[in-house]
Amino acid sequence: MKVIKAIYNFIVGDMIILVGVIIALIILALINTISALAPLRVATGWILVISVLVVLTATLYREARGNR
Amino acid sequence: MQWAVASAAFLASAVEFVEAFTIVLVVGVTINWRSSLVGAFAAAATLAVIVGTLGVAIVVYVPIGILRLVVGVILILFGLKWLKKAILRYSGLKAIHDEEAIFEETMAEVRARGGEVSQRLQPFGVALSYKAVLLEGLEVAFIVITFGTAPSTTACTTNCGIGGIASAAIGAAVAGILVILLGALVRAPLKQIPENTLKFIVGIMLTTFGTFWTGEGFGVSWPISDAFLLVLAAIYLASTFVLVMWLRQMKQRQLATAKANNASLPAQGQEVRP
Repeated sequence: MKVIKAIYNFIVGDMIILVGVIIALIILALINTISALAPLRVATGWILVISVLVVLTATLYREARGNR
Repeated sequence: MQWAVASAAFLASAVEFVEAFTIVLVVGVTINWRSSLVGAFAAAATLAVIVGTLGVAIVVYVPIGILRLVVGVILILFGLKWLKKAILRYSGLKAIHDEEAIFEETMAEVRARGGEVSQRLQPFGVALSYKAVLLEGLEVAFIVITFGTAPSTTACTTNCGIGGIASAAIGAAVAGILVILLGALVRAPLKQIPENTLKFIVGIMLTTFGTFWTGEGFGVSWPISDAFLLVLAAIYLASTFVLVMWLRQMKQRQLATAKANNASLPAQGQEVRP
């Protein structure tokens, strides 16, 4: 458990960032594998950029709320 | 010497070397040069083993798409972590000098004991440098092999002196040497930049490279190719400025609310007292 926690702290150390990026990756993987979502494939890059910005905004918002 | 192959390999490799060297440079300036160079040399050794073992077959056996995806995701995670801290400091939600003060205190303590803390190997720095150099080095190897073994170049091997792969390798090597020399020149001015600004720039760059490589791992062909890195950096830079402004406003509102509450509390207390 300590090893997992050390790796987590080394790589990211923030649950919102970790979960947010994982969700974004799952969404992108689904877009790239499910044929019904094929029309979205052209926007994969932009979806990734927007996801990264949403994750950053979410973690900053939590920090700002925590400072109250 | 096949000049067309060498020039094409030079240009393509230069882009990859710049990408790798940028990360080695920022790790060196923000963390320490020892970690940065250990990571870079370890990656170069790994590359030598991979290329030496697989040779031209590297193109078949190394899943470059998966590698881009894994390295890209890790860079996004690292980048967001650094960006978050830098933005919180710029917006005033986190003390901008606390780390510097702690660092200076630690340095003073260590100096008193006769040691040097800044030269210690930092796993974070080694890993960052290693991943960037390994990935970009593999891309250079791919460039050399694909350019050097293209049908148009193999036809020339009998008439053109050295073969396609050797020409491409020379082009890539010259690009590598030039990028390293240029990097050595910009190293000194980078030291003048304040620590939080550097960390902010590193955060932007790691997130930019991470997004770019993750996208490529998913098969995205970015418009204007590698030059899209600049567009991505501009998007993240603009977004972080907006986020800093938003957080500053939020902090001001919080302070105003806290002041109003403090002002109303004594008034209420006076009303209660006889």
